This record gives sequence, C-alpha cells and structure tokens, in this order.
Amino acid sequence: MKIPLNLTINGDTVELTVDANETLLHVLRNSASLQSVHRSCEEGECGACTVLVNNEPVNSCLVLAVSVQGASVMTAEGLVRNNEPHPIMKAFTDELGIQCGFCTPGMLMTAYALINRCEGSELTDEFIRKSLQGNLCRCTGYVNIVKAVKKAKQNKDAGYWW
Amino acid sequence: MKNFIGSRSLPDMIYHAPESIEKLFLLLSDAARPFRIVAGCTDFIPAVRTGRWSFDEEVTIIDLKQIKALNYIEHQGGMVHIGACTRLTQILESPEIQEKAPVLARAVTTMGSWQVRNTATIGGNICMSSPAGDTIPALLVLDARVTLAGPDGEEEMLLKEFLTGPGQNTMEDNQVMTRISFPAMEKNETACFKKIGNRTAVIISIVSTAVRITLEHGVCRNVKIAMGSVAPTPIRINRAEAFLEGKRLDQEVIHRCGALVSEEISPITDLRASGDYRRDVAATLVKRAIAECMEEKE
Repeated sequence: MKIPLNLTINGDTVELTVDANETLLHVLRNSASLQSVHRSCEEGECGACTVLVNNEPVNSCLVLAVSVQGASVMTAEGLVRNNEPHPIMKAFTDELGIQCGFCTPGMLMTAYALINRCEGSELTDEFIRKSLQGNLCRCTGYVNIVKAVKKAKQNKDAGYWW
Repeated sequence: MKNFIGSRSLPDMIYHAPESIEKLFLLLSDAARPFRIVAGCTDFIPAVRTGRWSFDEEVTIIDLKQIKALNYIEHQGGMVHIGACTRLTQILESPEIQEKAPVLARAVTTMGSWQVRNTATIGGNICMSSPAGDTIPALLVLDARVTLAGPDGEEEMLLKEFLTGPGQNTMEDNQVMTRISFPAMEKNETACFKKIGNRTAVIISIVSTAVRITLEHGVCRNVKIAMGSVAPTPIRINRAEAFLEGKRLDQEVIHRCGALVSEEISPITDLRASGDYRRDVAATLVKRAIAECMEEKE
C-alpha cells in the first residue's frame, strides 16, 4: 500500500510516497538520503537510529513512517549550519566523546534534545547518564560522552548554540 | 531487508489511522483480516521482527495514535483517569501522577529508554499483557480498572480480571482499551516499585514488584503486594498481604513476608532467568520494597 507522506525534514518540507510498512528509519535513509540515521538493532535497543520527531527523541526504527504524517523530523545533518559543525558536535570532538562514530549521530540527537530541555537548570552526571540510557556506545565507556554533553551545555550557556 | 539472524522484514501493510472513536468502529466492522490495533508500535515492530508475531501475506494496521480523545490524564473526584493512548513520557512528567500515583511514575521511569517512552503507550503495555509488563504491578496495587469499548458499548473491569495469561486477555477482536482508572493514593499511604533485570536500564524485568502500605502508628493496613514475571500474568500476592495486615514492621516480619512470597509464586525458567533464581530474588525484592516503604514514612 503506497501512501503520500508530507514531512518537514531538517527544516525543509518534503513530499514522499512510501510503503505503509516502511519505518521512519528506512524512509530517512533511502528516500531522503540521510545516512546519519544508522540502522543497527531495529528493535529499539541501541539508539543508533535516534532522530527528533517534533523535538522529541524517538527510535526511528520503531516508528512507521506513515504514522508521523505532517511531523517535523530532525537528524544529525540538521545540526550543521553553513558547513559549520554544531557546538554540540564541537563538544563531542573536543572531549573525545567519539571513537568509531557509529553511535554518534543518535547520541548527538538525544543529547541535543536533553540540553534544549534543560534551559537554565544544571545537568548532573547522573541525569545525563539516565537520559542517554537508550544510546549504546561500545567504544568510549561513556565517560567522555558525559564530559562532552557537559561541555555542550556550557557552550549553550555561553551563547554558542543554534 | 534481512540484516542478521532473527530479524525479519515487516509484512505488507494496509494502514489506517482513524481520528475518532466513531471512525475507528466503522473501520473495525469491515477491516480486512488479519488486523492488528496498534498505538506506540514499540512492541509491535520487535514482535514482528523477532517472529513472535507473523503474518502470511499482508496485515491491516489500525493506528490509534491520531485519536486525541484517548490521550489524557485527569484527576476527578478522587479518581485518576488515563487515556489508553497516553505516552509513557506524559505519565512520568504528569504532576497529577507524581502526586496521586507516584508508584506508577516510578514504574514508568524503569521502562525502556527516553526514546521508547516518548512513543510507547500505557494501553499498549497493558494490552500486550506480558507477564513482565512493568506498568501492571503498579496498577494492580492501585486497584486499577480498565475500560474496553466495542460496537456494543463500553465495559469496565478490574485489571486483574482483564489479564488471563501470557499475552492473553479478555479483549475481543472488535474491542479497544480506552481508559485506565484508579483511586488516587491518600497522604498516609506509601508505595514503591522495584525491578531486577540483567542491567539497570532498557531491560525486561526478570522479577518486578509493587508494594503499597498504609502505616497507622507503625502498624500496616491495606497492604497490597503485586509482582511481575513470576506467574502467567502479573499477580497480587494475597497470602503475603494478609500476613502483613495489622503487623508492626520489623526485620523478622519482613523476612517472613519474603518467605511467604517465595511460596506463593509460580515462576518459570526462561531465557532471562531460572525459576529458582526468580523465587529467591522475588523474596529479596519484596523485602527491599517493604523496607523502602517503611523508611519513606519515617
């Protein structure tokens, strides 16, 4: 069953035709050519496919694309502006919160949503770890990722953010 | 689209997303079979991918997420009502739930990840009727009732009567769950939810428990103990509840209560843990939960 699907992806309005059984992950990778959305476990364990739907992080592998008709979707590509890496990406490279990079786009999206939610309040290590429970990283041991999220929060508090 | 052993591609689908309950029943009356009613899909998609559910050719999907009338949390006349399609994140962040049913909020915090909670719904967790469904022990100690709607009208029943076995409940094909209701907790009550899994996050319970006690001058009243993953459905532990009634809590009493729990449950051995392990851990978990209830009130 083919269904027309309207989405706002990284700020651009797009009209696609998708199969009813396609997941948002599949549509973003194959129809929208957004390769930052990584396909891994496909059952919501690993978080590598995390994207923001209406500003909230979700596992795109567990979302039928047709079920988010009209939604605003943001992927890691949407963080980049004028070829400049986003301040959260800078924080991840500065603090070495990235090694092989497979989990990184998903991790970035969850962390980005977390920092945007915590306007004005402080982010504790524990709260960062709890919020990132759904993003598995098999390289870093998470220590540098937590540091990177804190650094990114400092960037935002200093006005270096978009 | 097979990528590794055990992961299957999704079957062809016919997709409907009715916007109201009336439209839903119109659809249900002549939907092509087989059909599945879904909400968050966070268990539906893994169920298909792992082969727990399979369909020969195509399946009709009826998605309830667009029905706004199924998404709400309200507190009225001492009762809390939750729409079946309310997402777990909404429950967790709701001031009403945090105040009137903190045990449910506690249970929800242990479920899935932030991403999953943003999509998964409470009705979905109940209707999948897994013995390990984590909202269920919390709702059992809250004496929750569920409302099912069908073409012939609504029926309300106790949650414990709704659940009949692993993955099984009394819901007919043409019914949907619309509402979960329970009395708000009183100020002098205390309740606690605990679970054990292979790790502390994003994990299915090996054993879970919810305990609710009213402490009157140190004496236990209205004791309610529920457990998940120790029987074909999440259950109340009636003999252990009766044992605590009217008693003062001390180490000896808590210990004997834990022993009664071990006797009353019928855990199985599965991929996640052995029956013997579950029996041991169940006693420990209930003891910890009671101790925590006691500390909270002191």
